[in-house]
Amino acid sequence: MPGFTHLHTVSGFSLRYGASHPERLAERASERGMDALAVTDRDTLAGTVRFAKACAKAGIRPLFGVNLATAPPEPPRKERRRTPVRGGAFVDESAARVTFLARDGARGWADLCRIVTTAHAAEDAPLLPWDGNRGDGLTVLLGPASDVGRALAAGRPDRAAKLLVPWRAVYGDALRLEAVWHGRTGTGPGSLRLAARTVGFAAEQRIRPVLSNAVRYADPGLGPVADVLDAARRLVPIDPTGELDSGEAWLKDADTMLGVAERIVEAAGFRRDTAHRLLEQTRATAAACLVDPEDDLGMGAVHFPEAHLVGAGRRTAQRVLASRAAAGMVLRGYDRSARARRYWERMHHELDIIAHHGFASYFLTVAQVVDDVRDMGVRVAARGSGAGSLVNHLLGIAHADPVEHGLLMERFLSKERVVLPDIDIDVESARRLEVYRAIIGRFGAERVATVAMPETYRVRHAVRDVGAALSMDPADIDRIAKSFPHIRARDARAALEELPELKALAGEKEKYGKLWELVEGLDALPRGIAMHPCGVILSDASLLSRTPVMPTSGEGFPMAQFDKEDVEDLGLLKLDVLGVRMQSAMAHAVAEVQRASGERIDLDAVEGGDPATYRLIRSTETLGCFQIESPGQRDLVGRLQPAGFHDLVVDISLFRPGPVAADMVRPFIEARHGRAPVRYPHRDLEEPLKGTYGVVVFHEQIIDIVAIMTGCGRGEADRVRRGLSDPESQGRIKVWFAQHAAERGYDAETIRRTWEIIEAFGSYGFCKAHAVAFAVPTYQSAWLKAHHPAAFYAGLLTHDPGMYPKRLLLADARRRGVPVLPLDVNRSGVAHRIELVSESPVVWGLRLALSDVHGISETEAARVADGQPYASLLDFWERARPSRPLAGRLAQVGALDAFGANRRDLQLHLAELHRGARGAGGGQLPLAGGRRTAPAGLSDLTSAERLSAELGVLSMDASRHLMDDHREFLRELGVVSARRLREARHGETVLVAGAKAATQTPPVRSGKRVIFTTLDDGTGLVDLAFFDDSHDACAHTVFHSWLLLVRGVVQRRGPRSLSVVGAAAWNLAELVELRARGGLDEVAARLVQPEPEPVVREAKGTEEAEGAVGKNGDPTGGRRIQLPTGYELHPWADLRPAGEDPAKVRKLWHQSPGSAG
Amino acid sequence: MTIVCVRFQLPSTREALLPELLGLLEEFTPVVEALPPDGALADLRGAERYFGRDAVELASVIRVRALARYGVDCVIGAGPGPMLARLALRDARPGLTCAVPEAGEREFLAGKPVGALPGVGTATARTLCEYGLDTLGRVAAAPLSTLQRLVGARTGRELHEKANGIDRGRVVPNAVSRSLAAERPFDRDELDPGRHRRALLSAAEELGTRLRSLEKVCRVLTLTVRYADRSSTTRSRTLKEPTAHSAALTGTAYGMYEALGLQRARVRAIVLRAESLGPAEQASYQLTFDPVDEKIRRVEQVADRIRAKFGPGAVKPGALAA
Repeated sequence: MPGFTHLHTVSGFSLRYGASHPERLAERASERGMDALAVTDRDTLAGTVRFAKACAKAGIRPLFGVNLATAPPEPPRKERRRTPVRGGAFVDESAARVTFLARDGARGWADLCRIVTTAHAAEDAPLLPWDGNRGDGLTVLLGPASDVGRALAAGRPDRAAKLLVPWRAVYGDALRLEAVWHGRTGTGPGSLRLAARTVGFAAEQRIRPVLSNAVRYADPGLGPVADVLDAARRLVPIDPTGELDSGEAWLKDADTMLGVAERIVEAAGFRRDTAHRLLEQTRATAAACLVDPEDDLGMGAVHFPEAHLVGAGRRTAQRVLASRAAAGMVLRGYDRSARARRYWERMHHELDIIAHHGFASYFLTVAQVVDDVRDMGVRVAARGSGAGSLVNHLLGIAHADPVEHGLLMERFLSKERVVLPDIDIDVESARRLEVYRAIIGRFGAERVATVAMPETYRVRHAVRDVGAALSMDPADIDRIAKSFPHIRARDARAALEELPELKALAGEKEKYGKLWELVEGLDALPRGIAMHPCGVILSDASLLSRTPVMPTSGEGFPMAQFDKEDVEDLGLLKLDVLGVRMQSAMAHAVAEVQRASGERIDLDAVEGGDPATYRLIRSTETLGCFQIESPGQRDLVGRLQPAGFHDLVVDISLFRPGPVAADMVRPFIEARHGRAPVRYPHRDLEEPLKGTYGVVVFHEQIIDIVAIMTGCGRGEADRVRRGLSDPESQGRIKVWFAQHAAERGYDAETIRRTWEIIEAFGSYGFCKAHAVAFAVPTYQSAWLKAHHPAAFYAGLLTHDPGMYPKRLLLADARRRGVPVLPLDVNRSGVAHRIELVSESPVVWGLRLALSDVHGISETEAARVADGQPYASLLDFWERARPSRPLAGRLAQVGALDAFGANRRDLQLHLAELHRGARGAGGGQLPLAGGRRTAPAGLSDLTSAERLSAELGVLSMDASRHLMDDHREFLRELGVVSARRLREARHGETVLVAGAKAATQTPPVRSGKRVIFTTLDDGTGLVDLAFFDDSHDACAHTVFHSWLLLVRGVVQRRGPRSLSVVGAAAWNLAELVELRARGGLDEVAARLVQPEPEPVVREAKGTEEAEGAVGKNGDPTGGRRIQLPTGYELHPWADLRPAGEDPAKVRKLWHQSPGSAG
Repeated sequence: MTIVCVRFQLPSTREALLPELLGLLEEFTPVVEALPPDGALADLRGAERYFGRDAVELASVIRVRALARYGVDCVIGAGPGPMLARLALRDARPGLTCAVPEAGEREFLAGKPVGALPGVGTATARTLCEYGLDTLGRVAAAPLSTLQRLVGARTGRELHEKANGIDRGRVVPNAVSRSLAAERPFDRDELDPGRHRRALLSAAEELGTRLRSLEKVCRVLTLTVRYADRSSTTRSRTLKEPTAHSAALTGTAYGMYEALGLQRARVRAIVLRAESLGPAEQASYQLTFDPVDEKIRRVEQVADRIRAKFGPGAVKPGALAA
């Protein structure tokens, strides 16, 4: 019995329809003895590449197709239904669906891409219009969901025959009728009678029938998951009394399908052995669909934009590149420098490599894009290994001079490397879309597309969708979803078992029945598709025949349906254009300085090695500085004490999971501060290792070491370096290395020691080119913070680049002596501004921006700013025309204080103005004292209400720090402020308090889950760490409270490095309330409540203590995720933890009913 | 301290008991105002002298009688005026009557939220809170003119008086004008219009039967649809003529339901309420030449008699039988 080929199979890429990943489908097909399998996803080809790769792995032949909603030749009139008062209208799925298979190689694939692109061209749901429904290279399956199938289901073969005529006219012999039997009763889709009618009708019409199983999932038993997906797609709950999934739509094997065929032909009134003819037709149809993933999809080939588009019209691209590089040499003066020879040699060497691969067009393309972006006045910088190429530098793509910084071309591109190189460019985030438009404008919409990014189900969305499908209470769904950290859906039950903060939820686990199973069933299925934030495909004019393109929602950019990896596999040139908020922030800061003081700053030309800048960095007050603002980085900067640009590069490279895990930090710091001698395995290696005190930090150093010791050349050395991350090849490399190094005359001891270093380094290190590219904005931002603090904060607050909430930046500004000026409609701009506060000494203040007001639209903000100044409230109301709620909010935060002292009175006047505008005429405002508004006798906002209004409206405590209100209580408790904490002894037990600024559970060296939290108490930041022995008691409080009181032990690792290991945590807001209500006794009563008291961690032998905890107190039973590098990871580390993002907190705990917010 | 406000703790199935409970109050005073569905105001000024007890003591007597005779517990608030009695009721618990002292109205009111005041709805309360007038004490302290600017001249004046403890209300004796409700909950999110209509039909049938057994007619029918997210939609419609006729109620209910146009709304319950009840004998009835209407009413009468004899489930519309 030869195999059966499923011609109609959908994968998980059919959004909220298919329940199995393409890999799983390919695997199962191979296991069940099939030789080929088609994937025909609904409305998309996004799964194609993954499917093709999976098929190659599973050893079966892939067939490509798509299932599209098609419009009939004459579109029917749509009747409008009454708009529902609640809940929205049904999702319209009335369009007939037809399966298209690519048949004739590249032509078939191009047709497939074209019809998918056409179907997505319209605004609403994808629908293939009839006039786009063509394609010589396609085979069409008319199944039960097609118009013909529907007519047959309705018992109208006459109508079916009529509907068949246009199909036959277009596709002729390539038309098939698809019979499906899912064991349903009646005559609807999936019923035996419809299948039989289809086969009979096909015989009558002389069209070949095929058998399919309309597969939605790989394995039997996934019907309930399909039901959930249906419910999620239609946005309705599952109706258990309605028609559920039959459970039959799985990848059935050949024998079962033969049985199905026999039943169908018998029901159609033929002899049983006719079944073989049906299967034969199916097989023949599959055999005719010949699309080769390599030749026809273009996998593995490379397509650059045509040479004439990048300035190489008459000459070859390589010639143009060479002359532009030479011009760059002259322009930058390298040809006249002392090392001119080195530069020329390096340039020619690189040009050789580029010519070897024929990538000249690629370099010219990127250079063209960078030039265009720069001409727009947008800050742009190259990042990534591309910064290691001198040619890139000469073309103006990368800022840093690779020769000076010792960056290697081989890390980026070498003759031995065959993959496409990638150059990433950073642009200002605020103008990223502008940049995209410019690229599209330069190369044309037929050559440019953005890259898609499938959004997949993780636990929170899965809980929401399954819960809604199961008719659970929305409040319950919300609570359950929010209590999970951002983990994979398939880990839901494991997390319930193991995570201490989910203990309460685990208790009621049984209540929700099938929920957990279904949640895990949705794991990693795509649930939506979005534009990837940085990838842009640049190709030649044949792009549209190789890639299906759809418009993105909103901007309407062309977007390929393939994701980042697919695009690489397809040989499409991808340029990563990253929007970097820091670049926008710096651009804003520079613009502000120029606007306010007329001083012109060219950040790219700022003098290196500025002492004030490094003093700032060494003080660890680096909040807001690029790359060095996280708690871990502040700690590292404090220990490392950078003094120059190279130190910054090292600092950034060291702060990676790899180096931290391989413990490269400690020896480096010891050696740097002269506490340990600098050692080299051999004096030949002194050259590459000198800069980092004998510690290997960079990829480039490994390349150099291998190249020096074995003499294999850097290109080969880079390949060896890549091999290090794989334990298998590591063994081979060891032998190879020892052999070659011995040949070069190194003794066994040196080889052994060098190998130890290489091995320990593994693949952890960091590419120096990356680090140099990162360090440039780091230095620039620190320089701004040191010299133009007010403008720097204005930029940060406007573009919000960092990991911390805005209010923390504001607190930092206050601490650093930048006056924070309140919102004022007569002075504030759309963005944050700087203002001269005093002439001598010159002090610049930070004026808050209108755009930070909750709910203000861009046009409103612009109108308010344009109308300045305003003489009175009436003037403001009439010219700025704010919406009523907006005007109210402005009054609440004091932006209208100039027009009258009492904010409540102002509100009343605004309400009356509003009423007056609605009604006829409108009364005269009672005016007193010129422009000030008369009082109405309402009591003004209290100070707490003002603060609450500021938090509610601006999300920032603008007038003072919110912890200031609790000073008294904190003094009673004996809480140590962040400033005083700096003098605390190591090992001292302290109480600290503050507003939570950030929480992370990053991967750490010990393979444990550690919760890192930063508290802000107005005097500074307190960095806290909670180890897993305290999680039972603290985790939930830490994740879900905003104001925290923590007891912990001070840990000191250097003069500027200090953290507190938390032992107990309370919700400070709750305590404050108890204090206000019942005095200190109530607080005491709360504190004695039997909180499962964790053992306060002893500060001795950490290894020992950790080992003990691992055995006893670890709920995961010692389960660890083993990374390929041999590095162990706690299964729940490195996740976005549960709880509200502190940046989004808008409410003050004690918000009184007296203020709207 | 002569007005009491009583709330009987009646389950919705025993709403029909209210008139009898009102009768109980009328044993103390003739001045009783029904507050449907489960409350009443009673003016005990005469009763205090007659029984020689003050209002708080009388409240205990009322509670004991209600419990003994009907098995219904009640909560009682007492005060110098109806408004204060109602506010006092909010603080009362079964067995603990809350009384507003004669001269202490202002102190009593000062700490109360504005929303507690009868006549202050959510919209007014929100407006007042926006201006920091969140308690009645603050409202009382605000200038009258400001209050009037905030919520309008008349409402402002009334608010000002009430917040200052001036209670101009009187207990107005009235006949029971009550409402009847029938609720049909679903055990999951129900989207099927067919099942919604069945619920409506069955609720309308129940209301009709209950009305006819009480010999009442209703003038207004209210439909409340509750959704999974605990929100709800309410629609009211005045009937062409007051009626207790099931078919007329069903038709009106269907009409209101269709007007909602629900498609994907996750309906968890449908509540139908008959309001503005009046005595059946005073209802007018438009005669028609159509014999069908006559027949349906005849059938209904027969069905009612069958139900009276064989129980409420003995006869029902075919659509509900399955």
